[in-house]
Amino acid sequence: MAGDGRDERAWVRGAQAGSASDLEALFRAHWPRAYRAAYLVVHDAAGAEDVAQEAFLAAVRALDRFDSNRPFGPWLHRIVVNRAIDWARARALRREVGADEAVATAHAPEAGDVAARPSEDVLAALASLAPDHRAVIVLRYLLEYSPGEISRILELPRGTVNSRLRRGLDSLQGLVREEESE
Amino acid sequence: MSDQDVRGALLAVPVPDELEAQRRAWRVVSAAHAGREPLPRRSRGLRPLLALAFLAALVAAALSPPGRAVGDWIRDRVAGEENAEPALVRLPAAGRLLVVSDRGPWVVRRDGSKRFLGRYEDASFSPSGSFVVVTAGRRVVAVEPDGDPRWTVTRPAPVADARWAPSGFRVAYRAGETLRVVVANGEGDRLLAEDVAAVAPAWRPQPAERNVLAYAGADGRVHVVDVDTRRELSVARPPAPAEKLVWSDDGQILLVVTTGGRHPLYGGGPRFPRELRTPGLDILDAELEPGTRTVAYTTFEARSGRSTVWLGPERLQTAEGRLDEVVFSPDGRWLLAGWPEADQLLFLPLRGREGIVAVDDVRREFDPGGATVPGFPRLVGWCCP
Repeated sequence: MAGDGRDERAWVRGAQAGSASDLEALFRAHWPRAYRAAYLVVHDAAGAEDVAQEAFLAAVRALDRFDSNRPFGPWLHRIVVNRAIDWARARALRREVGADEAVATAHAPEAGDVAARPSEDVLAALASLAPDHRAVIVLRYLLEYSPGEISRILELPRGTVNSRLRRGLDSLQGLVREEESE
Repeated sequence: MSDQDVRGALLAVPVPDELEAQRRAWRVVSAAHAGREPLPRRSRGLRPLLALAFLAALVAAALSPPGRAVGDWIRDRVAGEENAEPALVRLPAAGRLLVVSDRGPWVVRRDGSKRFLGRYEDASFSPSGSFVVVTAGRRVVAVEPDGDPRWTVTRPAPVADARWAPSGFRVAYRAGETLRVVVANGEGDRLLAEDVAAVAPAWRPQPAERNVLAYAGADGRVHVVDVDTRRELSVARPPAPAEKLVWSDDGQILLVVTTGGRHPLYGGGPRFPRELRTPGLDILDAELEPGTRTVAYTTFEARSGRSTVWLGPERLQTAEGRLDEVVFSPDGRWLLAGWPEADQLLFLPLRGREGIVAVDDVRREFDPGGATVPGFPRLVGWCCP
């Protein structure tokens, strides 16, 4: 869990002043969600580690310019999610691995096993979406941003965010229903 | 499915290697934080000393063997393309160009801006161009395109020819007479082969999820190995030792350029090897066209002292002196050739109606402020639009 606003501001100011323990507190508070968000977009553990790690490195490099009165999370999540989208797109473009296909295959639930593994259903369904659509779902449901905040984070029109949310959720529910009926 | 159901499911997804990933990332992040320091302030008192040092360097350059080499080089220089651009201010195609000068590697962006990566000897791009892996002395270093080091591997023996796997997850490099592989976060370094030749290993591009590597043994044989299972997939003995290994994009063809430049071989599967014959001509460099199996190569004819760049059977350009190296643009529309004698880069159009783009003053471009004339930079790669 991220710390409350007061803790976080103190950690940011401490890290800016060179405190390793404050940086560690900030890192420990934000790493789990940053890594999970990256993983849910890129669907690759090493890729997610790279993305999340690069985001923290970018944050460290820009630490001196960061306004400690602003929340750290949205700033970090913007970097994480945009880098994750770039990573997933680049991977798809280069056909390095059929990432979506591989993940869909890897996580496709076996018949009769659906109810026992709801998270795998969601992951497999998520894999069927384009990376930028996955990102909208992750920002909304994992990181709990409002559509307006998501539109600012991804620099997308609000209507685009809403339509991607709707389509993404429809796909998730459709796929999950499909699998449940098998 | 409610919003809470979706959130619960996203939180319940098991994320592999979570704690280990956190531990590794913290090590990198904390090191970056510890390394932060204010920009150094230049002392005004040093200026006369620096000016004297510069003057002394100029005098020394004029008298020393490198200084004499400047005069030789000016006399030997051939006339290049007449309408050459005076400087490299733009690449004709998208992507980033990686060159290695006497100073070290440089990344050139589409808009002509250049970033010096540091005092390294060799460099190559990661598959998506997010990193450059460089070598210097006994160190392999992964750096970001702005030169920030990301991780380092140090060996007791000098290292060279680091190459990043298309999967993104492995880096192979030579250390002394051995070939080693490290996970692309700098961990898990291990020996892959001993008694290897001084030739850069080449990763097979497809299928990218398999980490398959070609390398040349000191005994002249070329091996193709699955790095993760250590299974040898094929081995062949070219008629002369390999000098360069290049895979086709589809991973079906391995081009082997051999010492002496007379016998470049290409092949894959049962047809390997076939020979590309160029009677009377030395082959200086060869590459495979992106998306095809067409060989682009440069030949040198000693009798006339002229070079020719070929794309398959098609003659693209002939020039006095040696057209040393060829590199394809990522979109396959341009072939870049280095022309050291003219101190020019030649961008040769392969499709469309564009003309040749020549760029002059290349040595100085990658050694700005140098007191002597530097060597012509090596063209290492053009990556990732």
